Amino acid sequence: MSESGNGVEVEGIGKSFGSVDALRDISFEVGRGEVVALLGPNGAGKTTTVEILSTLTRPDRGRARVAGHDVVDDAAMVRRSIMLTGQHVALDEMLTGYENLVMFGRLQGLKKPEAKTRARDLLREFDLEHAAERRVGTYSGGMRRRVDIACGLVVRPEVVFLDEPTTGLDPRSRQAIWELVATFKDAGIATLLTTQYLEEADALSDRIIVIDHGTIVAQGTADDLKERTGGTFCEIVPRDPADVQALAEALGPLLPEFSRAALTPDSDRVSLPAPEGPRTLTAALARLSAADIELADIALRRPSLDDVFLALTGNAVGANRAEPAAGEVFS
Amino acid sequence: MAVLEGVPVVGAAEAELAGSENSLRSLLSQTAVLTGRLLLRSVRSPMTLVHAVLLPVAFLLTLKVVFGDSITAITGENALYRSVPLVALLATMSGSTTGMVGINAERFDGFLARMWSLPIHRGAGLLSRLGAETVRLVFTTLVVLGTGMALGFRFHQGVGAAVLWVAIPVIFGVAFAAVATTVALYWRKTVMVEAMQPVIILGATFCTGFVPVDRYPDWVQPVVRYQPMSLAVDAMRGLSVGGPVLSPMISTLIWCAAIFAVCLVPLLVGYRRASTSR
Amino acid sequence: MTALTLTRPIPSGTQQWWVLTARLIAPTLRNGEVAVGVAVSVAATASLYIPLNRLMDGPDLQMSSYAQYLVPLIVLQAIAFASISTAFRAATDSVQGINRRFQSLPIASLTPLAARITAALYRCVIGLVVALAAGYVIGFRFHRGLWYAAVFCLLTLLIGLALALLGDTLGTKSRDPAATAQWLLLPQLIFGFLSVGIQPLHRFPEWIRPVVDNQPISRLVYALQALAGDSAGGVPPVTWSVIGPALAWTVGIMAVTLPWAVVVYRRRT
Repeated sequence: MSESGNGVEVEGIGKSFGSVDALRDISFEVGRGEVVALLGPNGAGKTTTVEILSTLTRPDRGRARVAGHDVVDDAAMVRRSIMLTGQHVALDEMLTGYENLVMFGRLQGLKKPEAKTRARDLLREFDLEHAAERRVGTYSGGMRRRVDIACGLVVRPEVVFLDEPTTGLDPRSRQAIWELVATFKDAGIATLLTTQYLEEADALSDRIIVIDHGTIVAQGTADDLKERTGGTFCEIVPRDPADVQALAEALGPLLPEFSRAALTPDSDRVSLPAPEGPRTLTAALARLSAADIELADIALRRPSLDDVFLALTGNAVGANRAEPAAGEVFS
Repeated sequence: MAVLEGVPVVGAAEAELAGSENSLRSLLSQTAVLTGRLLLRSVRSPMTLVHAVLLPVAFLLTLKVVFGDSITAITGENALYRSVPLVALLATMSGSTTGMVGINAERFDGFLARMWSLPIHRGAGLLSRLGAETVRLVFTTLVVLGTGMALGFRFHQGVGAAVLWVAIPVIFGVAFAAVATTVALYWRKTVMVEAMQPVIILGATFCTGFVPVDRYPDWVQPVVRYQPMSLAVDAMRGLSVGGPVLSPMISTLIWCAAIFAVCLVPLLVGYRRASTSR
Repeated sequence: MTALTLTRPIPSGTQQWWVLTARLIAPTLRNGEVAVGVAVSVAATASLYIPLNRLMDGPDLQMSSYAQYLVPLIVLQAIAFASISTAFRAATDSVQGINRRFQSLPIASLTPLAARITAALYRCVIGLVVALAAGYVIGFRFHRGLWYAAVFCLLTLLIGLALALLGDTLGTKSRDPAATAQWLLLPQLIFGFLSVGIQPLHRFPEWIRPVVDNQPISRLVYALQALAGDSAGGVPPVTWSVIGPALAWTVGIMAVTLPWAVVVYRRRT
């Protein structure tokens, strides 16, 4: 675990809405130059956590510090150091991309000429120059997300909060966001991103915090988590289920004891851990071809978010969700 | 990506110089920026211009055509000195519903939350909305005044009185906008916009600007006489053609100040809630 | 998986229409739409009758009371408000995209429109009843008997139907429901004031009388005044020359709006 420096420090945060506990005793840290992902299904408490850290709401219990400032006592200084991008693009849709950027610049203390220059630079960096004079309301989804993030970067933040930044984006835009996060890392900015997708958390973050029902269920690198859920495995299905035993023997030392023990008379397939991924598969194939057993399927399977959750919480993703969104009134 | 190279960091030292988040200086400069964007939006929606210009003008003309002669015959003075103020006030009210809807739309799509998470003065957002309203109100009042003058309205009490005359609908409009915004922040249902309409209609028709007080049934006259719109119209009449000024004007200002004072805390609380939850 | 059913029922057009209509009507008691409709009818009555009664009443009115003269206009204002609300509703639906969803279901493309119009008629009925009740309070009576009173109500609802169609089309076409609703408040007042509904023709300046006389609201007011009748002699008689123009305007509006509605609706959603 890297030293926390001046990024994000959360100690025992709790938050309730009426009788619903959105967060219970959350503690974690994000250091400078670190990217940490909050992974969990809808309603797990990810957005509430981000709202507390960006001073939109106060915790009921516990303390949190962002960029060295307490989120309750020193909220104004926290706001000076952060950039927040939510699930929905939050810009003035009737203003052009350029006007939005200038506005955010001026609001954050840049003089008008500085704000204008900065706006032009950002438009160039984010490949939005061709659309600069068009209203944001006319932009495509990917463009809107880019200008949304650009508006958060007119002034250099120390901590960045990205709340589900790539939901609903096409692959190319998603890739662009991922590259941006890498830039933050290089610049020494602490990044906290929330996501529902394990592959995204995996690709981007140094550490993943799995959160469910308001509590932290697990923390660690992507590899750590996958190991805990069994990691990547190789699944082999013989054409004739009766060949399973022969298959198991043919695999020899590749098949560990516990996997062999897991086989029952009803098994129609063999699963073996594949820590080396494709190499394990190739080795298995080599052995099996020598044994001349006909196969219906052989594949590498990776644990899905569901697998991770199942292993860590015993619940499937999306099970028994009934919490209302924070503070929402249904009319 | 060079996006973060050479980026200005408004760090602690500069923050001290620029004034902390809650300083007056921040409030003024940030409100100016946000008011600018609201005005830009109004200019870009043609409907608001129609609202601000065409409809009040048409309504003023209608009043003159339909009632002008009857009322002039009864009161002895040109009916314009009542109807122009009335339409100016009416225009301030009927245009405020745009702001009501706007604030809820921005609450819903997270723009208010984004603003709240920026290092800006906590009151800048709300103040900018009132600021933009004020600009709209001045504009509308001048347009109505211009139409009135084309129809024969004149100022007989001097320039100072004329300036005050223009100020009254603006002050009234700000008080009304405070009410409308408070309603919008606390009752998010869209039926609220429709519900304002009977209120506006009743206010405008039970008003000395519409028909002289003595034409109303006796039991309703006190209500007509002392409701804020009537008082404003009376003050404006005094400032243009002559008649009591001080008493109705003070009463109008008291009404407006009271309305605004009552709404102030709910507004601040409501705006904060709108910025921090959906 | 038991979530899938084995058969697919055949939807009935009438049932669909009823469901869509109920969707619009059921919440109105709770969410305040009915209350607002009532308030508007009462406000319309009060705001026109109370200030203007003493001003307007006089022998040249040729009717027994200003109330008898004015109520037809009040009824029309109440109906107009109902159709504005319909326009608002239509615009909201259009913006929220639910129309598009309906289009992908096996619903005849005009059924949602028909449902909205039915809901609009429901609002018109409320507006009419309250306006007549308020009119009763200020002295309005039906002098020509039950049959003519019924025709009065029918004509009013027919007008409501035409205005609802117009409002719905305008609302679906526009992308901004709130702007649409605001747009329609002052014009409604203006049209109402520039008609014989508020004062007899001879009280208007000469140059504007042709406009006022031939304006659709004036024609409708003449017809309604005729159908309501009066104890004094000044009311228009119930003849085709009086009722005809009113019907012509109403049917004319529908004839123009309906094809336009179909085009807008099919294109926009």
